[in-house]
Amino acid sequence: MTLNTGTTIDRSNPNLKNATQSGENSRLKWVLIGFVVFYMSLIIFIPALNVFYQAFQGGIAGFLHTLTEREFLNAVRLTIVIAAIVVPVNTIFGLCAAWVIARNQFPGRALLLSIIDLPFSISPVVAGLMIVLLYGRQGWFGPLLQSLDMKIIFALPGMVLATAFVSLPFVAREVIPVLEEVGPEQEEAAKTLGAKDWQVFWRVTLPNVRWGLVYGIILTNARAMGEFGAVAVVSGNIVGKTQTLPLFVEEAYKQYQTQAAYTAATLLACLAIVTLIVKEVVERRSGLKRGTH
Amino acid sequence: MVGLGYGFRTVRLLNRSLIRLIAGFLVGLGLTVSIAACSPVGNSGSQVELTLVSFAVTRSAYESIMPLFAAKWKAEHQQEVVFNQSYGGSGAQARAVVDGLDADIVNLALALDVKRIEKAGLIQPGWDKDIPNGAIVTHSVVDLVTREGNPKNIQGWSDLAREDVRVVTANPKTSGGARWNFMALWGAVTQKGGADPQAQEFTAQVYQNAPLLPRDAREASDAFFQQEQGDVLLNYENEVILARKKGMDLPSVLPTDVNISIDNPIAVVDKNVDRHGNREVAEAFVQFLFTPEAQREFAKAGFRPVDPQIVQEFASQYPTVNKLFTVKELGGWNEVQAKFFDDGAVFDQIQASLRG
Amino acid sequence: MTSTTQSQPSRRERGKFSLPSMPWRVTILYLSVMLLLPIVALFAKASTLSPAKIWQIATDPVALSAYDVTFTTSLAASLVNGVAGVIIAWVIVRYEFPGKKILDAAIDLPFALPTAVAGLTLATVYSDNGWIGALLAPFGIKVAFTRLGVFVAMLFISLPFVVRTVQPVLQETEIDVEEAAWSLGASSSQTFWRVVLPPLLPAILTGIALGFARAVGEYGSIVIISSNIPFKDLIAPVLIFQRLEQYDYTGATVIGLVMLLVSLVMLLGINLLQAWGRRYDA
Repeated sequence: MTLNTGTTIDRSNPNLKNATQSGENSRLKWVLIGFVVFYMSLIIFIPALNVFYQAFQGGIAGFLHTLTEREFLNAVRLTIVIAAIVVPVNTIFGLCAAWVIARNQFPGRALLLSIIDLPFSISPVVAGLMIVLLYGRQGWFGPLLQSLDMKIIFALPGMVLATAFVSLPFVAREVIPVLEEVGPEQEEAAKTLGAKDWQVFWRVTLPNVRWGLVYGIILTNARAMGEFGAVAVVSGNIVGKTQTLPLFVEEAYKQYQTQAAYTAATLLACLAIVTLIVKEVVERRSGLKRGTH
Repeated sequence: MVGLGYGFRTVRLLNRSLIRLIAGFLVGLGLTVSIAACSPVGNSGSQVELTLVSFAVTRSAYESIMPLFAAKWKAEHQQEVVFNQSYGGSGAQARAVVDGLDADIVNLALALDVKRIEKAGLIQPGWDKDIPNGAIVTHSVVDLVTREGNPKNIQGWSDLAREDVRVVTANPKTSGGARWNFMALWGAVTQKGGADPQAQEFTAQVYQNAPLLPRDAREASDAFFQQEQGDVLLNYENEVILARKKGMDLPSVLPTDVNISIDNPIAVVDKNVDRHGNREVAEAFVQFLFTPEAQREFAKAGFRPVDPQIVQEFASQYPTVNKLFTVKELGGWNEVQAKFFDDGAVFDQIQASLRG
Repeated sequence: MTSTTQSQPSRRERGKFSLPSMPWRVTILYLSVMLLLPIVALFAKASTLSPAKIWQIATDPVALSAYDVTFTTSLAASLVNGVAGVIIAWVIVRYEFPGKKILDAAIDLPFALPTAVAGLTLATVYSDNGWIGALLAPFGIKVAFTRLGVFVAMLFISLPFVVRTVQPVLQETEIDVEEAAWSLGASSSQTFWRVVLPPLLPAILTGIALGFARAVGEYGSIVIISSNIPFKDLIAPVLIFQRLEQYDYTGATVIGLVMLLVSLVMLLGINLLQAWGRRYDA
């Protein structure tokens, strides 16, 4: 409350992007960066480095050999197919759910939000089990599916369901805080100016939430490609057919082909590069947009 | 009234769009199904498909056996055999088959898992009578892996209960296969004339020495080898051999005074082969697995063969065990499961007694 | 339950709001097919047992200790990540420094890496002879195969949540407000507590809630770094898996349901707290 008289107001250049005007701030900046690097080294960098180390331990030849194996390539293809189905579907759902929750006040709002969070807390094994209970041979829809000669589990649809389940909350959960932060005023203004619903959505809402959406999609994609537990239960793990990359990793490991397992894992780790690219693209696009406004 | 009518309209609108949405969803689902179904399933004419579901470490053996069989079948029937293979934990594989995984042939780590599939009505009772050697296609025994130079001087079963020894073994609760380890420990006492209470005391002591209970044999060997936990690792002989082949340096002591015969059964899944119309080739493949050439591949991959000729051939690699006992000597699978592994049975009692 | 929450607002927002109720229908339908239906199936499966038996399985001493390990460790991990995550998001959004892009991209690694690989590499790095574990061993700190190891694995898998929920909000908020506070002479800590933090709070709580939920459900990596000994560091998802291995589907569902209900209550708590916080904010 009391006016700070100790340090005088020499932070006189508010146009500088970084709040690094004073020595105090510069120190703070480097302390914080130091902390982040330390923490992330412990939790992420060193363990990730170990994965790379293990992958290359047997020399580059073994690494390259795995990358050209047919089963490995099949696993990559299947992983991409599943992500290509799951990510758009979950994005559409996520946007709808985010709008419902952020733009409406209704009883049970917190409950709906908590229900959307649930897939994270449901252990993947149980998630797989639930799908089996529904679509398995002895499941609710089992006899029906069998009489139609349709396969859900131990085939692509079941794996898509499992993947969609575990990555369901991301987009909604990333977009909601942003949507709440920007508020409905701009949308309402556009509306009163005669914009159609979809125009409001494309021109106002979407640009506003773009960062939340980007992170939501990135996380959905990462989780969709990396999921093992739930997919393992419903895939049947048929080599070259229903084996995704994480399942390939697991199997190679079980066969004591440790290097192959780690090699495939490094490829998944390289998904982080996708993150970089997507962010770069969005940044450039939105930068252009801002420039024209 | 107005509100009511409005409400109705909303409901009707909602319904129509709901139907449209559901229809859309079903179309999408159908599309994915048809994509999945695109893979050719021609079990007639020039090609026949065969799906094998097996426990994890058999893969290297099957990779060599399958081409042999395919060549033989092609010569005799002018038909291409296309194999689908799935490898994983024995229990999980059995559950998948029960829940609808289209296996034609299952080769699992223990008969209990095949019995589950039988109980679900997919395999005819008496499956073990129609196949050679009681449907047991390979054997293994329990091996004790030690540290380099065996610093704790571990020579046999009794050393595992020593207070200065830390034992790494997979958890019989999470790994069906790891139940063999438990039964081996139990039998090490009872097969030498010890009574049940003594056996329970001994096994409790061994599990007291276990600082961790990994999920399965593979993770146990990594905990021992990579993370350097414990002084001795209880593992199956075939896994030890496979690990050695893949570059892990594992000195081991094989208890040859008394050991359990780990029997890996094979079965044709009757319901599925009848549906797929490939019973003939499935049964031929199972028979083929008992031929010397297939047995030789199993032996190379680390499994003890069941064909006498190949047993001779690999006698140096697989030392004879003086007193080899089977599950039958412990009372058969049903009794073993009820007595040792069910809720509140011996294994739970042991874990409860170790608490605190 | 859902039908009552659905019909009222869809009518209200129809008269008042920009988008049609299409989002409502997508949300409700998708949630029903993907989430509610499977959960109902789970309940149905569990209800084949008698209540007494359900109670007995759910309150078995081993199960109780597993819940305890799972929930307290998850909560601790998500809170620690709550603080660390805000700092990471702050550093990435507000500062320029070499290597920043790598830092930013690496955040998502815990999701992309298959959980088994994550577990293996963490167990290896944090075991007594591992790169980090060897540094801690002289102090008598054992990480791998203890509850601390479970905690580290939970930190790993829940890290992206707080960072990635705070980041977009931080990117949207204008830097001017902070600068105004600076120029009015507020100290760093004052600016932080009074100006920077309040608008971030909902996002932080969201991140903590999600991280917590994820840590509760995690199985693949923890089963490897934990010693899985009951009453020590056995987590509930492993217990569920044990029951499945015994073909005890119903027993597995019972424990799964207990987990589900407890998480739902805890998530509801966090989400209500957030709603309550926003009321004051407005």
